Amino acid sequence: MTTVALPASTGTTPREDLAEATVRAFFAAYRAHDVEHMVDLCAEGAGFRYVPFEMRSRQRVLHGEGRVRTVGKAIWTTLIDSFPDLTNAVTSLRADPDGNVAAEARIGGTQARDFGIIAAAGGRYELPHLFLFHVTGDGLIDDIVAYWDNVAWKKQLGCLEID
Amino acid sequence: MSARELAEKFFGHVEAGEVDEILGMVTPDATVSLVALNRHGPMAADGASYLRELARAFPDLMVRVRRLFVTADNTAIAEITIDGTQADDFLAVANQEKQVDLDQAWMLTFTPDDRISAVIAYWDQNQLYRRLGVKRLDQITITAG
Repeated sequence: MTTVALPASTGTTPREDLAEATVRAFFAAYRAHDVEHMVDLCAEGAGFRYVPFEMRSRQRVLHGEGRVRTVGKAIWTTLIDSFPDLTNAVTSLRADPDGNVAAEARIGGTQARDFGIIAAAGGRYELPHLFLFHVTGDGLIDDIVAYWDNVAWKKQLGCLEID
Repeated sequence: MSARELAEKFFGHVEAGEVDEILGMVTPDATVSLVALNRHGPMAADGASYLRELARAFPDLMVRVRRLFVTADNTAIAEITIDGTQADDFLAVANQEKQVDLDQAWMLTFTPDDRISAVIAYWDQNQLYRRLGVKRLDQITITAG
């Protein structure tokens, strides 16, 4: 995936610059498949919510929601295992003076193993995502929320079921 | 009016189905990207079309703003939940009077004179289809009770 040239930051406060730098480091670690560093960039107890992540299991619905060090780490590790060439390109980055950061990123990879109900058929996907972070004054991520569209993801990988 | 107040006003109009009022808040060349629908174009055409269909299909729509912040480039970033009961076909899905709640994220970029110049919205269409009873992505019009 090519790196997208981002416009110069319009952030003017050190807090905004620090938050943006932390988020850029997070995506760099994700590109390097360095899950431990992704976690290290997050505060102890950091919140995690992947909004579209809903999996039916028996009579329960499992949500991609919890803590970075438990749910987040497990999802990132599983994603990288299922898509060994997983990569990302940040396409926009915006911050406010209170540590909130919105990052649009294209994430993609080639499927090598089953992921949820999506059986591995060697397909490749690339999808726009929106990540919303909150970064502390110390430069640690203490909340991650992400949005994307699973219809586009499934269609690109040949899965037409809605679980 | 601040970008935060303008964003709250925007979502108030979405809840009320007041599409003309929304169009009154945007610049003539404002763009929209409805990422989950792969619709990208003028707010006056693509944005208005989607919002009118939403209002028609969910006349009791409620929009709850869960998080809202404004970034240095005067973009309001909002996490919202839309909630309503289907009363007409929506995005080719037959009406089964299903109750729907869906989390979304919207980005509204404001000009210095308080007009909206760009709208980007993210949600998971798979979650919407599931709540509307759709079972397969190649059979959107076929729903299960």
